[in-house]
Amino acid sequence: MKKRMAALALGLLMVVTAACSGGTGSGGASDGQPSNGGNNAAGGEQVELRMMWWGDQKRADITNEALKLFESKYPNIKVVGEFAPSTGYFDKLNTQLASGTAPDVFFLGGNVVDYANKEVLLDLAPYVGNELNLSDMDKSMVEYGTIKGKLLHISAGANARGIVVNKTMFEKAGMPVPEDGWDWQEFAAVSKDISSKLGGGIYGTYNMSIDGMDIGLKQQGKQLYDMEKGTLGFEEADALKWFQYWEDTSKAGGVVPSELQVSNPPGDTSKSLVVTGKVAMSLIPSNQLAALQGLTQDELIMVQLPRGEKGTGVVFESSQGLSGYAKSKHPKEVATLLSFFINDPDVAKTLGNDRGVPVTAANRTLLEAEANEVEKIVYDYTSRVSSATKTEPFAVSYNPPGFSEYSKLAETTMYEIGFGRKQVDAAVKDFYNGTLKIFNNNQ
Amino acid sequence: MKSSRKALGSQHNLTAYTFLLPWLIGFFCLTLGPMLGSLYLSLTKYNLLTPPEWIGFANYMEIFKEDDTFRNSLWLTIKYVFISVPLRLAFALLVAMVLNKGIRGLGIYRTVYYIPSLLGGSVAIAIVWRQIFDGNGLVNQFLSWFGIQGPSWISHPDYIVHTIITLSVWQFGSAMVIFLAGLKQVPADLYEAAQVDGAGKARQFFRITLPMLSPVIFFNLVMSIINSFQAFTPAFVIGDGRGGPLDATMFYTLYLYMKGFSFFDMGYASALAWIMLLIIGIFTGIIFLTSKYWVFYGDSKEGR
Repeated sequence: MKKRMAALALGLLMVVTAACSGGTGSGGASDGQPSNGGNNAAGGEQVELRMMWWGDQKRADITNEALKLFESKYPNIKVVGEFAPSTGYFDKLNTQLASGTAPDVFFLGGNVVDYANKEVLLDLAPYVGNELNLSDMDKSMVEYGTIKGKLLHISAGANARGIVVNKTMFEKAGMPVPEDGWDWQEFAAVSKDISSKLGGGIYGTYNMSIDGMDIGLKQQGKQLYDMEKGTLGFEEADALKWFQYWEDTSKAGGVVPSELQVSNPPGDTSKSLVVTGKVAMSLIPSNQLAALQGLTQDELIMVQLPRGEKGTGVVFESSQGLSGYAKSKHPKEVATLLSFFINDPDVAKTLGNDRGVPVTAANRTLLEAEANEVEKIVYDYTSRVSSATKTEPFAVSYNPPGFSEYSKLAETTMYEIGFGRKQVDAAVKDFYNGTLKIFNNNQ
Repeated sequence: MKSSRKALGSQHNLTAYTFLLPWLIGFFCLTLGPMLGSLYLSLTKYNLLTPPEWIGFANYMEIFKEDDTFRNSLWLTIKYVFISVPLRLAFALLVAMVLNKGIRGLGIYRTVYYIPSLLGGSVAIAIVWRQIFDGNGLVNQFLSWFGIQGPSWISHPDYIVHTIITLSVWQFGSAMVIFLAGLKQVPADLYEAAQVDGAGKARQFFRITLPMLSPVIFFNLVMSIINSFQAFTPAFVIGDGRGGPLDATMFYTLYLYMKGFSFFDMGYASALAWIMLLIIGIFTGIIFLTSKYWVFYGDSKEGR
């Protein structure tokens, strides 16, 4: 009797614990791979690495293909790929970093500074020249990945931001297509004209006051974040000037209203109104052109940003790159993987320009030779930017520390003005104070 | 067989505790442990990656003194609770009373109406909701038949919270099933007696149904309030996942989540969590304290 009781209790225990662990369902961030593998150190040969990136299914497919190429070349290293959509990617990464289970290699964007400050990135300098071959990589890109004297980041693609123009819409409106060298006054006028000519529910441009803010500041000779001095690189008045321009342009007509920008954000290519022929211009990184063009029959081209006092403020910059995890058990293999990822011609062919133009000269020549129509537009644009920066150089910009909180604040500021909740000067005042506070909290 | 009374008692206790064991293990390891951990973290500055640093009550001070987002999100959450909970309960009661008329196929109706409760908290339904209330979604297409041009419900800060409230009301199923069980318990002779005395339907509802149901209402109210304070998924998915547009979906739990996992401020997030616990505790406490004035237990002495 007693025995039966105990057995029953045990059985119950099993059921309940099993039910509990399945039922809470809050473990979205957890992953089932606590160990980094490669524990069979006796042989000392077989090593398993994990790599994580963000993006869509297409990117996942080609990245996995590239990893297969790596595995066939280095049969002793197995690479397990993981990916997440860009919205949840960094939350996932942060959680893994906090619990010490982050992948050996992961992608970072402009927020690399945040992770560098938290000292979770692997210093790759010891491997340069051995496992890690950077001889063909652009100097500026190597410098970009060198933060506070350590090589922490290897750019995996470069791009230049610019204005994507729906040429078909301009032809429909009977207007000349914008060209490089225009200024913001012309930009505002063009936006308003095309909107009034094409009428009802069609706008000239998305509101770029947030996405283009660092560029707008650079055009005034300022910057978002001065990494050398470790301070913000702008004053409240600079931000006010920029937001005021967008408020005036919006009032004049021709800028997508906030309500529409919320439901169809410009960063989401599948919802972009440029594709549906509702908005004629938007600010994009050049590697996004192919994705946009793939969704529409209209002809899209790229034009440089309108000029400010000091020029266009746009540089050829890293779009995203790879970093190693400081706690990785196999730093050498990490370096080998990174080196392969940027140098191997087959990888370059597989990945194409999905993350931006390749960062090594050899691979760029390789891809340019077999570029399709859209890619030719991108190459033509990036070379225009490169030659422009020869006469008007601009520093590469880093995002300020606390970037995710900052960008949330910036977005709120734009919509506070857009929905008429605050006057421009009041909103910018709150924005500047908030930015200072975030900046100081994350130093 | 010789066993003293005491031994028998302890043996009974042992059996009871054996059965309770799974819950106790879960409670101590998965609930109480992390809770105490977060209490400690709430008194520190902890950016997830470097060891926590003791700062005393600084997080709490900042929350109460300087944090506008905290105030807004708390206010938004309270508004959400106070609108959605009564609506949901009223709706649940209404449907339960209709179903209690003894219609055929009751089991099917009960199941169908219960399904939203199971699905409502899921991401998939929240995505469907997005589509329904989008600028050219179902709702606006329906409105356009009558010549009304609806706004984009999910992208305007004034309307989006109502979308989320609608989703919450739609999950009336579990409350309804409990109401239905409660209604079945109300003795039919009370209604017969009332009818004989000439009481109308409305009077019967207020004088018989509601008082007899009050324990069930009490239970549903407490559960709904606790759940609604913790609403996360609808705000996360129907909004942009970052509280937007304009913090109109910045529910308390979402703010807490963002502070902890996006903004690297787990200490602050823990402090927010403890404040939430206190607030829920206070609201639940108020309901319990006032319950003796409005909850009627048919078997209690005063009742008869």
